[in-house]
Amino acid sequence: MISFEPTEDQKLMVESVAQFAKNALRPHIRELEKLRGVPETIRKTAFELGLGLVALPEAVGGAGLGLTTSVLLEEEVAWGDPAAAFAFGGPGAFGLAVLELGTTAQAQAALAPFTSEGGHDRFGAVAWGEAKAHRERPGFVTTAKKTGDAWTLDGAKAYVVNADRADHFVVFAQVDEAAGWHGVGAFLVDKGAAGLTILAREETLGLDAVSFGGIALAGVTVPDRARLAGGADFTAALVRFFARHAVVVAARGVGLSRAAFEVTRDYVDTRKAFGKPIGHFQAIAFTIADRAMDVDAGRALVWRAAAAWDAFDKGEGDEQECLLRSAQAIAFVHEAAMRCGDDGVQLHGGAGFMRDYPVEKFMRDAKQLGLCGMTAEHADQLAGAVAVGVAIDPGLVLPTPETQNAFV
Amino acid sequence: MTIEFSLGKKQLEMREGIRGLAKNVIRPQALAWDRAGGIPEEFLRNMARMATSMGSNAMRSGVGDETEEEKKDAEKRRGSTGSNLFSALASEEIAWGDAGLLLCLPGPGLGGPPVRSSGTPEQKKRFFGMFQDFDSGPLKWGAYGLTEPNAGSDVSGIRASCRKDGRHWVLNGRKCYITNGARAVWTVIFATVDPALGRAGHRAFVVEKGTPGFSVGRIEEKMGLRASETAELVLEDCRVPEENLLGGEEKYQSKEGFMTAMKTFDNTRPLVAAMACGIGRAAYEYACDFVKDNYVLGRPIPRYAAIVERLARMGRGLEAARSLVWRASWMADTGLANAKEASMSKAMAGQAAIRACIEAIEVCGAEGSIAREHQLLEKWFRDIKVYDIFEGTGHIQRIVISKRLISDLKSF
Repeated sequence: MISFEPTEDQKLMVESVAQFAKNALRPHIRELEKLRGVPETIRKTAFELGLGLVALPEAVGGAGLGLTTSVLLEEEVAWGDPAAAFAFGGPGAFGLAVLELGTTAQAQAALAPFTSEGGHDRFGAVAWGEAKAHRERPGFVTTAKKTGDAWTLDGAKAYVVNADRADHFVVFAQVDEAAGWHGVGAFLVDKGAAGLTILAREETLGLDAVSFGGIALAGVTVPDRARLAGGADFTAALVRFFARHAVVVAARGVGLSRAAFEVTRDYVDTRKAFGKPIGHFQAIAFTIADRAMDVDAGRALVWRAAAAWDAFDKGEGDEQECLLRSAQAIAFVHEAAMRCGDDGVQLHGGAGFMRDYPVEKFMRDAKQLGLCGMTAEHADQLAGAVAVGVAIDPGLVLPTPETQNAFV
Repeated sequence: MTIEFSLGKKQLEMREGIRGLAKNVIRPQALAWDRAGGIPEEFLRNMARMATSMGSNAMRSGVGDETEEEKKDAEKRRGSTGSNLFSALASEEIAWGDAGLLLCLPGPGLGGPPVRSSGTPEQKKRFFGMFQDFDSGPLKWGAYGLTEPNAGSDVSGIRASCRKDGRHWVLNGRKCYITNGARAVWTVIFATVDPALGRAGHRAFVVEKGTPGFSVGRIEEKMGLRASETAELVLEDCRVPEENLLGGEEKYQSKEGFMTAMKTFDNTRPLVAAMACGIGRAAYEYACDFVKDNYVLGRPIPRYAAIVERLARMGRGLEAARSLVWRASWMADTGLANAKEASMSKAMAGQAAIRACIEAIEVCGAEGSIAREHQLLEKWFRDIKVYDIFEGTGHIQRIVISKRLISDLKSF
């Protein structure tokens, strides 16, 4: 059956989250921007709505509602403020990484702090990126070396979402220097670990309420049980994590696109020039039509990707299909969001450039969001690799300092 | 209901069947049909028989012209093979084999929807009744005559005239680019009682082949879709019986005439978009296979990343368009108004498929431009262009869409 209609439960959830976005987020986007974060009261409400735990399985304390429900709600939140969902508190990318790369026991333990009282104040983060590529070999500069029953991590990680807020990290480091991007390992590291330093938060183009930063690791030691081994095939699990996470980011991109589209449509309805609303000029109206198609097609692709993952988690469908759907949704939405933001400012004319209107923020946010999770370029490399049937090379399809970094 | 994108067992089986047919029977003959400028009648008859046995009207007529009773039964049909959605799936598969074939299939064709939506019960019985015996009698087609040399996208500009004379209407004018126009047993012809009345002056007639004063003008030579017949129709003091006025006199008290023309498109646009997806997918898959078979992928080649990105762009453009086709069809099956969404699917599919056909040739290099029995990229390139033109150009789709997004927008 092919159907585009959410379940009754999903409709109710979307409705309440839409109300929350409309009342608690949209009127305050400039405040959140200046605050460079989301105030505790709003984070509490988001936590009470269960926003960060929707897609996590019940076995680890999540709601078990699947990725499809999650993307519906993510779109609504991002419509209110594209930065908000990154800054609500909760496990975020950390949760998806632990689920894909860890054992069930590891996931249960790592996610427990996020499901209990006060979860709105706890953040997870994934320390993936690095500022510079290794000059001599493929793979990360940051290394993890095993001595006895422990791993020692040395190096620095960059482009980490919520680095300065996180209590718990998944840190990626080179465990096998000869194996290139196939020699990467993942480790659970707590904020308080000796040798871990939080680096200064960056100032960015957009998504000001999101914290982008990094961490330094100087002889940080973790026990072997903190290693997330990735099951039978670490690289495959790693690519699944990136794809799933970036689908969630793409859902936010849909919300952002819709927000930029709607304020622009309203503007061209009311702004008059040459004696009529500017929307009554064909050049303007056609642009509006094109961006409406971007919003709708992006949403449909995100839904299809999410539905593919939900089927995969039930033991139906296949992984390559999930990766292809995800990659298509990610690349399409990143580009579509940028078009919606850009044309949004353009159709506002000079007013669009002013901070009196929200559209300039949406345009900046769109570029910033396109650098979160996976970039369109990497998503295209992933989709193309699936299409021509070559083995998926993590060095080509994932954001790395050798090719193009992304915020994770 | 829930959000899901999987097919039922019967739908999957039927799609597999159509896919096999497209691959093993249709595509191998596509270039020959294109060169011959037509498809043998016996083949078309077999296709029509098969379509009927499968219970799909998509293959018989190329459009989803289901009956009112079927429409009322929407809930039951959802997920079945008689739904708009399945018609879209089937259309994509056949177009993947040969888009020209879909336009050649016997049946009422584009003439079906206006007769369905606006015809009186007697008219429906009479004009659809002609197609009941397709299995034994001669093959029959219907056609749709709206476009004129000086009125294409601007439907309100038609100049073909009609005036009442006793129990007949007298029609004069020329209609062009009419699919199956020369062989149609009847054609829905749009004419005006007075151009000054605009849309309110429009009348739609079912004009039967052999009506005195009704003749075929030139048969067009086209860039692509050459297996499909495209004809000019000439009306010279053509006397049409009054009972052939579609819907009867009372239908035309408002601007219903124009709405009749437009209703056709809400039904057919997602199907045309689905066909575009089929052609685009053919080119995309060919390019993917070509890359796998011909290029060295075992070690890094200079073009690898660029090729892969091109393929990914083609693939996601088509998938986005296909998703919109499914949505517009699903809305029709669910009984939701879908004019905007139908236009979106058509606008996006036309462009995505053209991009795919252009890029596929580029990916394959010189070989991509050569016509061979098993290498149809140049044919698809020729076939696809019109998908952003007929059934409303991409620009017309954007007019339809923007009128539904921008307040009080009546015209530009």
